[in-house]
Amino acid sequence: MSNLYQEKNIVLSVKDLIIKFELRGRVLTAIRNISLDLYKGESLAIVGESGSGKSVFTKSFMGLLDSNGWIDQGSILYDNKDLSKFKREKEWLDLRGSRIAMVFQDPMTSLNPLKTIGRQVQEAIELHQGLKGKEAKSKAIEYLIDVGIAMPEKRFKQYPHEFSGGMRQRVVIAIAVACNPEILICDEPTTALDVTIQAQILNLLKAMQKKYKLTIVYITHDLGVVANVADRIAVMYAGDIIEIGTAHEIFYNPQHPYTWALLSSLPQLGVKGEDLFAIQGTPPNLFKDIEGDAFAPRNPHALKIDFLMRPPYFKLSETHKAKTWLLHPKAPEVKKAEVLLNLKENMEEYRHV
Amino acid sequence: MLKYFVKRLLRSILTLFIVITVVFLLMRLMPEEGYFGENGVDKLDEAQQEAILESMGLKDPVYIQLEHFYTDLLKGDLGESLIFRPNVPIKEIIAQKLPYSLWFGLFALGLSLVFGITMGITMARHKGKLADKLGTSYVVFISAVPAIIYYLFIQIYVTGILNLPLLFDVEIKKSWLIPGIAMSLGSISGYAMWMRRYMVDELNKDYIKLATAKGLSRRKIMYTHVMRNALVPMVQYLPSSILFTIAGSIYVESLFSIPGMGGLLVSAIQMQDNTLVQALVLIYSSIGIIGLFLGDVLMAVFDPRIKLQKAGGGR
Amino acid sequence: MALDYLEENYETFNQDLEDAMFEFADYDAKEAERTGYSNYSYWRSTWRSFLKNRIAVVLMLFVVFIVGFTIIQPYLPNQYEPTVVNISEETGRQLRNIPPNDQFWFGTNAIGQDLWARIWSGTRTSLFIGLIVGLSELTLGILIGSIWGYVRKLDTLITEIYNVINNIPRTIILVLFAYIMKPGLFTIIFAMAITRWTEMARFVRNLIIIIRDREYNLASRCLGTPTSRIISKNLLPYLVSVIMLRLALAIPLAIGSEVFLTYIGIGLPVDIPSLGNLINEGRVFIMVSALRYQLLFPAAVLSMITISFYVIGNGFADAADPKNHV
Repeated sequence: MSNLYQEKNIVLSVKDLIIKFELRGRVLTAIRNISLDLYKGESLAIVGESGSGKSVFTKSFMGLLDSNGWIDQGSILYDNKDLSKFKREKEWLDLRGSRIAMVFQDPMTSLNPLKTIGRQVQEAIELHQGLKGKEAKSKAIEYLIDVGIAMPEKRFKQYPHEFSGGMRQRVVIAIAVACNPEILICDEPTTALDVTIQAQILNLLKAMQKKYKLTIVYITHDLGVVANVADRIAVMYAGDIIEIGTAHEIFYNPQHPYTWALLSSLPQLGVKGEDLFAIQGTPPNLFKDIEGDAFAPRNPHALKIDFLMRPPYFKLSETHKAKTWLLHPKAPEVKKAEVLLNLKENMEEYRHV
Repeated sequence: MLKYFVKRLLRSILTLFIVITVVFLLMRLMPEEGYFGENGVDKLDEAQQEAILESMGLKDPVYIQLEHFYTDLLKGDLGESLIFRPNVPIKEIIAQKLPYSLWFGLFALGLSLVFGITMGITMARHKGKLADKLGTSYVVFISAVPAIIYYLFIQIYVTGILNLPLLFDVEIKKSWLIPGIAMSLGSISGYAMWMRRYMVDELNKDYIKLATAKGLSRRKIMYTHVMRNALVPMVQYLPSSILFTIAGSIYVESLFSIPGMGGLLVSAIQMQDNTLVQALVLIYSSIGIIGLFLGDVLMAVFDPRIKLQKAGGGR
Repeated sequence: MALDYLEENYETFNQDLEDAMFEFADYDAKEAERTGYSNYSYWRSTWRSFLKNRIAVVLMLFVVFIVGFTIIQPYLPNQYEPTVVNISEETGRQLRNIPPNDQFWFGTNAIGQDLWARIWSGTRTSLFIGLIVGLSELTLGILIGSIWGYVRKLDTLITEIYNVINNIPRTIILVLFAYIMKPGLFTIIFAMAITRWTEMARFVRNLIIIIRDREYNLASRCLGTPTSRIISKNLLPYLVSVIMLRLALAIPLAIGSEVFLTYIGIGLPVDIPSLGNLINEGRVFIMVSALRYQLLFPAAVLSMITISFYVIGNGFADAADPKNHV
């Protein structure tokens, strides 16, 4: 490991993680041998299409896998403990909320409809900050102000159905932040919201990150979100991180054909009158063992070796690595699509979301 | 909120009006023998029969009969019994029966609330485990087997073990308990099943995920979120079940010869006392309508979401 | 581009990788599509989940056996007629209240009729009632439900009727109709069907509205899926599971209602052997422990049948629910 890695403080480290599920009597491998380090204070975006396992991956940090799923191999090191070995609920209780908190996708359903907003924020404060009664309540109101809710005293007594989607997501963020966590996982935090609200929520998350010194993991399929908030990007495909690097590296020097395809399909890159780029085919069947590069059958530039051997990580810089045989010295040169070369200019407009 | 209540109340009144009218009209279709009382049909010749029917107003056109019926009803007059206790106002008969039904009903209600809800919570907490399976077997048995079967066995064997007479005896204190317990068996199973179902439904909702991620223990989530939310829809059934248990179980009361309202219905039917049957059917139907109305009102009080929604009838 | 491998992949690097492996492979668009998940079949999953429910499967076999037996029982050798009063050849007297022996397997009743034959005859009657009630409930329910869903003008009217019926306790409606009409098989079936069609109708109405308005069906139709396919793929699974559930539950319910009506005196006439009549006759003897077999035998058969149908019906409904196909 280089010095650069050590200088950056690793808060959470995943090693060779394999997660499996049992579904209708068959075993599915959802996460296929992932290793990943998370640095203190950064915001990492995990990008991938639905079913790529990005949600499952982060849920395993909090012991929130569905009951038919389990960690088959590997470790998740956090705070000198291996989370993958946690069995009892009590072990997780010391961690959930207080160390790692989560913001879920759908704010319409992630609040208890029969409890006031205030009570639900207060609950988190009482649980993790040792405050009670009036003190907890005034603290809860502070958090509501923090996340930009007007008339917090009045709103405190209201129920979720009296809030709009964007407002509810603000409340969910308030709850997560009120737990006083070190790491915040945001699972598709803006997907269920109006486009106009999305940017507000992302700005709010950025502000919260600064104020409370959070490390944030964004899970998203939306590269627009990524472009706005991420320091680093991990691209997931079929339960594996196939490319990881700084936002700059992934956007302007992508290496894996899947990353190319993902970037090419950005609607903002479309040309009037032409069809949008779409990735052909469907993701692989995770019930079967995957040989070689999982993306190979959908990859027009696939090499023969892609069907035979799983590619290792090829390192491009201290921060950038990708799993594709195209980076092997023996591999032929492949020309990237033109849109990707112009991405820089195109993205300039895009970043103002 | 107020608008919702008024609308809901008007609906119930309309339904009540329709039901009373339909029941009344259906009863006019009955064979006329039921109106001759203890004399019986055979002892009377045709002219006498006509005279009796005439004196009761049964020869008038239906709408006039209906008008009379409603005028009496508004005065609180349910008519007089024909055969069960001839010429005694039905109001009086029911007034005598009500205290017994009230005691057994409230006793059974208490039992079933305490045991039913506890059982439902236990089943939901241990979903798929032994406690759940035992509870489910109980629910299946009670729902599948006709109540009379297990009532009869309670009557035969439990009274035997406790050394009690088979039938209800006002003088014996213990004999005030067994019928109440028997009556509660069905509603225990009902409460348990609904409580379990609502809790399991709640457990699968997204907000439970957030509550878990927030760091709440499963136990705490069960009690402060799931149970609380599951009790809200339960509230809806409460008024109906209170009213019905008060009105008495038809089976249990007649089986143990308890002089209550349920037993009264059976006697009235067996004696073909038309006016008494009519009155009792109306009372039971009204209880159903009032119960559902109160249930919706309670629901609106406990569920903050309803204030904003429209009253959705039966959707 | 300066390339170097991460340490952990060093071995891979050192392996001899043939040059030929780095040629382009042929791209096959069909191959790319083929990898998706489509191993899910609704009916196969439903059947598999049902088979997993051991108790339901055992009870299903039991029910098949019982139903078969009630049909063939009268044709078996050495069976008595259920309604014939048996008379002793020696004394010329009625063979009353004879405890179970090798001649009368379940004993005889108070007037000397064979209880074994009466129980199976009664079961036949009750199963018949249940089946007819179930079928008429389905017919009425689907018919009215379809009108309710399709004819928007009638929506308010039928909703109102539904509300009225739904507001009155089922038992009271049953009692009312059984009381007004002449006691008999038809009355019982009619009274039960009247109280039962509403749920089925509401269900069908909701289905039709789903077919009409639910987004995935709308989307399906926009893609040019014919209505027949939408019905067979999106509607039929729901409908069939509910039909099975309602049919299965109609049996215990019909038996329960018949027993109830007979008990309060407005059920089947005493000359038709039915489980209700048998229970009622047996009930008379609960004071005399020696004669309790006249209650115990019908009660035992009745309980087994009702429980079996109830469990099978619910087992199938659970199995048919895609949420349980995990």
